[in-house]
Amino acid sequence: MNVVRTTGVTKRYGALAALDGVSVTLAENTIHGLLGRNGAGKTTLMRILTGQSFETGGTVEVFGQHPYENADVLARTCFIKESQHYPEKFRVRHALRAAELLYPHWDAAFAAELLADFAVPTGQLLGKLSRGQLSAVGVIIGLASRAPLTLFDEPYLGLDAVARQLFYDRLLADYAAHPRTIVLSTHLIDEVSDLIEHVVLLDRGRVLIDADAESLRGEAVAVSGPADAVERFAAGYEELHRERIGGSLRVTLTGAPDRAHPGLDFEPVSLQQLVVRTTQHHGAPVAAGKEAR
Amino acid sequence: MTRVLDVARIQLVNWPALLAYPPAAVAALPLLGWGIDVSNGQTAVGDHEVYLLPMLLGVAAAAHLQTMTQVFPFTLGLGVTRRRFAAATALVVVGQALFVGLLLVGFAAVERLTAGWGREARIYELGALRQDGPLTQWLAFTGPIVATSAVCVLAGVVFQRWRQSGIYLAVFAGVALLASAGALAATQNWWRPIRSFLGGQPSLTLFTAYPLAFALALGGTAWLVLRRSTT
Repeated sequence: MNVVRTTGVTKRYGALAALDGVSVTLAENTIHGLLGRNGAGKTTLMRILTGQSFETGGTVEVFGQHPYENADVLARTCFIKESQHYPEKFRVRHALRAAELLYPHWDAAFAAELLADFAVPTGQLLGKLSRGQLSAVGVIIGLASRAPLTLFDEPYLGLDAVARQLFYDRLLADYAAHPRTIVLSTHLIDEVSDLIEHVVLLDRGRVLIDADAESLRGEAVAVSGPADAVERFAAGYEELHRERIGGSLRVTLTGAPDRAHPGLDFEPVSLQQLVVRTTQHHGAPVAAGKEAR
Repeated sequence: MTRVLDVARIQLVNWPALLAYPPAAVAALPLLGWGIDVSNGQTAVGDHEVYLLPMLLGVAAAAHLQTMTQVFPFTLGLGVTRRRFAAATALVVVGQALFVGLLLVGFAAVERLTAGWGREARIYELGALRQDGPLTQWLAFTGPIVATSAVCVLAGVVFQRWRQSGIYLAVFAGVALLASAGALAATQNWWRPIRSFLGGQPSLTLFTAYPLAFALALGGTAWLVLRRSTT
């Protein structure tokens, strides 16, 4: 069953198309990676899926219904934003209590465990927390809510490597015990590549990849060797990237079933490399973009 | 309804601003009134009124501004609909106004019993607001608080949707509207009939019915702005 289905969704801010004909389906009880550069449209898509923003065109279905002002849909949805601002008078315990009131599957014991894991003081005013502690509060709410559809929009800002790994470990363990649909938007693709089961890659508001992570891992290969031999081998396959050093050539190919050829070296391509190469292949400017709101 | 109550409880996390500061201000009025009397040199010089109640309106209503600019975006992320947030806000606004209004009725009674705090001062029982019974007195105190809170709710919603430019535009448009209406009334010689009309209205109508109608109009406008607000 699909939890999310969008068909030709567009979102325009004047002349800028933050989303341009996005059609994706997100299956139930799966961890989805929503990947893409800054400004690709990831946050915009998640805001539309959670009824916080409005599409300009196309159709959006979450749990089979449009999410806007849909109490039935939104009660099953938790959206943890990187830019989440908390009321300045709220302490950590108030934010958690609010989530407890609103989510029927809230696990208070799990939240307490996570608070201890991330060393977040419950009595502290949210406005006085560090960036990492604030991110941890978002992570705790997202995990302990056990919402059937949980969206994390770059939830790791300010978290160090140890805390991020803790988040991934806790997410995976809790997901195994309580399967649900999780959408994880991140730039740290290598860190989550073993976690995500389905990949949606957005670039400049369009879907570049919508595929199972497992099939993607086997889809691309980096072939290197003498330039002539590599050129002959690469002919007929889709080429994502090429690097030439002297007489040697290294190309990243998709759809190449033959992984053995005399005189050529074959290396698997990581998910991050595949995303980078696919994005570059489609001609995105290299300069860092700005996430559309 | 349960969900609306839950959202109201979340709004009440800021309970000191909503439910503690206003009573503190209510309780402080006699002292402030005494200070004003002393500074005016009018201590115990006969029956007189001290106009401090309008200050209380600001104290009671200001917290709703924060509710709309800070609590609303937070709860929207937790899957609360705008409709339920608006309903919870209305509940909190009316509940707070009734609570503060009841306190004012109590302090007005004390004011009567103490013969105007021992110096014939009227801080709570201003002539224009005075009613025959405690229930109507309660309503007369409550109406203006609800109306002022509605102004703050609307300001908060406008800020949430259009930020500073929205506030500037709203203030400019409001002032322009009032100034135009005033100019029109002056050129058409309407002030006298307006004064006569208002003077002929029962006090309860002036201080309860009209403020509530005003609050309803502002609340409706706030909802129209809120329903397309994003975070």
